[in-house]
Amino acid sequence: MAPTDTPYLYIRLRRRACVRKGSIVRLGDIAQMIVEPACEAALQELVIHRPQPADGNRILIDMMLIVRKIKAQHPQLQIEHFGEPHVLLEIVSGRKRPPVVLIVLVWLLLFIGSGLAIMNFHADVSMLAVHRRIYELITGEEKARPLILQIPYSLGIGAGMVIFFNHLFKKKFNEEPSPLEVEMFMYQENLNHYVITEEYNKIHEGERERS
Amino acid sequence: MIADVLVWLGIAFIGLAGGIAVGSGMVAFLVVLDIIPRLCQLTRSCKQIHIYEAAVVAGSLVFTWFDLSDVHVHLFALGAGVVGLFAGCFVGMLAAALTEVINVLPILAKRVGMGPYMLSLLMAMIMGKVFGSLFEWLIYE
Repeated sequence: MAPTDTPYLYIRLRRRACVRKGSIVRLGDIAQMIVEPACEAALQELVIHRPQPADGNRILIDMMLIVRKIKAQHPQLQIEHFGEPHVLLEIVSGRKRPPVVLIVLVWLLLFIGSGLAIMNFHADVSMLAVHRRIYELITGEEKARPLILQIPYSLGIGAGMVIFFNHLFKKKFNEEPSPLEVEMFMYQENLNHYVITEEYNKIHEGERERS
Repeated sequence: MIADVLVWLGIAFIGLAGGIAVGSGMVAFLVVLDIIPRLCQLTRSCKQIHIYEAAVVAGSLVFTWFDLSDVHVHLFALGAGVVGLFAGCFVGMLAAALTEVINVLPILAKRVGMGPYMLSLLMAMIMGKVFGSLFEWLIYE
């Protein structure tokens, strides 16, 4: 049993943190801590890293580095950490919002592209022949252009997509995320996973060169 | 006589085999796209999923039968409109569920920094589908 007067530091790193370009990374920016009030302010302000331009815009800060820095200043502290042993730092260079022209271009790209895609799909599965057939089966008469079927069909495509993405009745139904939000999250997670693995490799290589 | 029966059995076997292949393909397609779970999630009726499964099977069977047997239901024309609306909804969900649609948007959001405009870009896709389809039926054909 450790003597009760050993000061403990409980620390949890954030998963991601954003830092402005050129600013210094302090411990308070990247972690939550519980520690006795005497050292708290000093720890919050503890400089962990000074981003260099050569580091790129993503930096991995490892728990080992943080422990080394803390021990250098407060050797008596006993460190207990929760959660992930690293934090992914993103250096943001105060980028402006994308220009309106770009947004309009992307909008048109998606608009025309998905219109083309649905027409391709219809040609692929001979949708017109199927529509004629359904119209004939239901009403008993043949018609070259069964518009009474096709116009609701077209509107239905929009309704189906809206239902799937659940954007319009999000609040009404429930708080479960829409597939798009899940997809965005998965993309970000995969990206982070990749970056973290790569950065660890770099750290290991750096250590091997030094030793 | 016996030869006739054998040929008949052979044809029936081929038909059954083809039906099983197409039917399981249909189910696999629906499972991959996660449309039924999505509908359950939206309507909070995951316990009724067996009914939905039955609906898919019954729909496939009934429409196959209608198509092959040439039965006519002699409904009024607006009935076709209702069927069209439901069919369109289903195709819309298929289109939305295809990963090609869903994977483009996160990349756009990250790379081009369009995160805040996700909703309008999504509407671009949806309206593109609607107008593309309307254009095809009203003008192109």
